[in-house]
Amino acid sequence: MMRNTRGVDRKILLMIAYRNLVSKKLRTALTLFGIAIGIGSIYFLLSFGLGLQNIVTNEVIGNQSIKTIDVTTPNSRIIKLDDITNQRVGDIAEVTTLGKAYFYPGSFRLSNSESDAIVYGIDEGYEQLTYLDVIEGVLPTQAGDIKNPIIINIAALESIGLSSNPSAVLGQTLSIQVPLEKVSDNLEALKQEFTVAGIISSGGGPEVFVLSNVFRELGVDAATQLKVGVKDVASIEMVRSQIESFGLETQSPADTVEEINTIFRYFNFMLLGFGGIGMIIAVLGMFNTLTISLLERTKEIGLMVSLGARSIDMRLLFVFEAVLLSLFGAVLGIVGATVLSALVNWLLNLLAGTRGVDGTFWLFSYPWWLFVGAILFMLFVGFVVVWLPARRAEKINPIDALRRE
Amino acid sequence: MKREILYEVDGVALDFSVGEQHVTAVQKGSIFIPKSEITIIFGPSGSGKSSLLNILSGLQKPTSGSMKYKSENIYTSNQDSLAYYRAHELGIIYQTNYWVKSLDVLDNVALPLYFLGYSRADAHDKARSALERVNMQSYTHKYPYLLSGGEQQRIAFARAIVNDAPVIIADEPTGNLDSKNGDRVIELFTEFQQNEGKTIILVTHNLEYLPIAQHLVQIQDGKMTQIEHKDITPTVKQLLSDVQNRISTLAAKGAKK
Ligand SMILES: Nc1ncnc2c1ncn2[C@@H]1O[C@H](COP(=O)(O)OP(=O)(O)OP(=O)(O)O)[C@@H](O)[C@H]1O
Ligand SMILES: [Mg+2]
Repeated sequence: MMRNTRGVDRKILLMIAYRNLVSKKLRTALTLFGIAIGIGSIYFLLSFGLGLQNIVTNEVIGNQSIKTIDVTTPNSRIIKLDDITNQRVGDIAEVTTLGKAYFYPGSFRLSNSESDAIVYGIDEGYEQLTYLDVIEGVLPTQAGDIKNPIIINIAALESIGLSSNPSAVLGQTLSIQVPLEKVSDNLEALKQEFTVAGIISSGGGPEVFVLSNVFRELGVDAATQLKVGVKDVASIEMVRSQIESFGLETQSPADTVEEINTIFRYFNFMLLGFGGIGMIIAVLGMFNTLTISLLERTKEIGLMVSLGARSIDMRLLFVFEAVLLSLFGAVLGIVGATVLSALVNWLLNLLAGTRGVDGTFWLFSYPWWLFVGAILFMLFVGFVVVWLPARRAEKINPIDALRRE
Repeated sequence: MKREILYEVDGVALDFSVGEQHVTAVQKGSIFIPKSEITIIFGPSGSGKSSLLNILSGLQKPTSGSMKYKSENIYTSNQDSLAYYRAHELGIIYQTNYWVKSLDVLDNVALPLYFLGYSRADAHDKARSALERVNMQSYTHKYPYLLSGGEQQRIAFARAIVNDAPVIIADEPTGNLDSKNGDRVIELFTEFQQNEGKTIILVTHNLEYLPIAQHLVQIQDGKMTQIEHKDITPTVKQLLSDVQNRISTLAAKGAKK
């Protein structure tokens, strides 16, 4: 006769928990509101922090892939980025692409205007790893038939007052001067005419790009910089230490990203702290509701136990109530925070527009893990908050509960 | 017909100590409850009737002695087994009706089945037929605490029979009812005992209901006395004539003033 019960169907306990919440509409609504504010403020602030981090990261490293390493030499007289060195770097197992760039200060002349610019000689590998964003025409390696192709950036066009209609420059002749004799005694200055093949938007100062052969044919034997593409972010460190063992210097956008991330880790913690204040409201509200619910229902619980409920089921009943509150409150809070952030973003864009900032920006970021994390976090908080009331529910003695009038 | 013993209460006593005070709710004593009969426990207020019922229903472990149900010592098993005993073997009715307020009549009646692990649909089916048996089928979706005392008591009855338990325990089920509604509830008990062979344990201080019992336990200041089967009729007669006398003397006193 004394076999153990199967125990009550969890769905039914959930139903009873739900009914109880529904029967106390105002209280439940206020509690949900409190939870929504708590979790919503955390979600809002963190999505702001993450959005800001994205914007900053994009501003700083732009379109560079973070799977790249820039290699330079600390002293070009002792260690040169010549073909032998380049071969050794290219032979490292994790290196997928190797790009070479030759760049020197020089000047250019276009339709009778002249300006200083950095003159780059780049190869295909460098072009791939740098993601130059073309707005008109093509990149130098894709120029095909165009003889002596050159790419010019918007900043360079601005310096000669031609940025208003960039496409008009395409196909025009542009002459370059680079005083290479300053680089090495046995070199002559580069003086040559090119045809504008493309226009790019990247770069803060005036820059022009030609094929690397231009410099090699003049007898330049060492590149100014190498760009190394590696298999994945994880192998960056290893490849770097190998390259550095050749006596070279390395830099990677991953460094900058790491620095930005470190700063934002603190920043996000600070935001979390502000959100925590809202969370305290949520926790207190929820604890209050669950405790009142417990006191009000002492008799009901006594009744259920006397009708054959196990005490552990009564504990579960409260846990379910907390789960329902947490889940609905969290979803409500996240939806509310998303709507609010969209509104704030829209207003800021509007404001920025009137101040002459062009282009729209998206200040908030909502990665899926923030959504899932916020809900899981709230559930965890719910479990912690319900712990005490649930324990008390489990301990209710049906006789005492039913005797009390 | 040979009598079967369902409960054996052996040398049971129940004491409460609240702070410095000690209360003996049930004095050490032994009784039995016969199977498939109506047993009535009666006595004045505070004499320990509810305490005895709580012991029988597995809610209150006695301070000393043993309580056997079907020859098994109930209080030596664990909490889950006690819960199972209540859910599976008992139907319980209280004087004041207790409900889970947020649930309607149907779900309230189905509660004992939920605790036995029934699915909601199966439990609802059984709850509906239990409500039909007390003629309350049209109340399924009302909320029980909004109904009249008589209606509530019938629904409580449905809840007590929904699991088809062999034992129904009722603590003053007519206490809050007028005599007409009280009689109807008592009729339900006799019906169930006669037609289905249920064991019924009833607490009442309404002496007029004593004749429906086949077994009586009188309790006075916690002291339990069983009244033998053959003595029931004379005892009831005696008790009723005592009441008659009391009424007469009270009436005489009233007339003098
Ligand atoms: N949990 C408890 N703690 C302390 N004292 C209790 C407890 N339960 C019962 N008592 C005491 O035990 C005695 C018997 O109480 P019980 O409720 O069994 O009486 P009763 O016969 O059911 O009375 P009534 O007819 O009024 O319901 C009373 O003196 C009561 O105060
Ligand atoms: Mg009582």
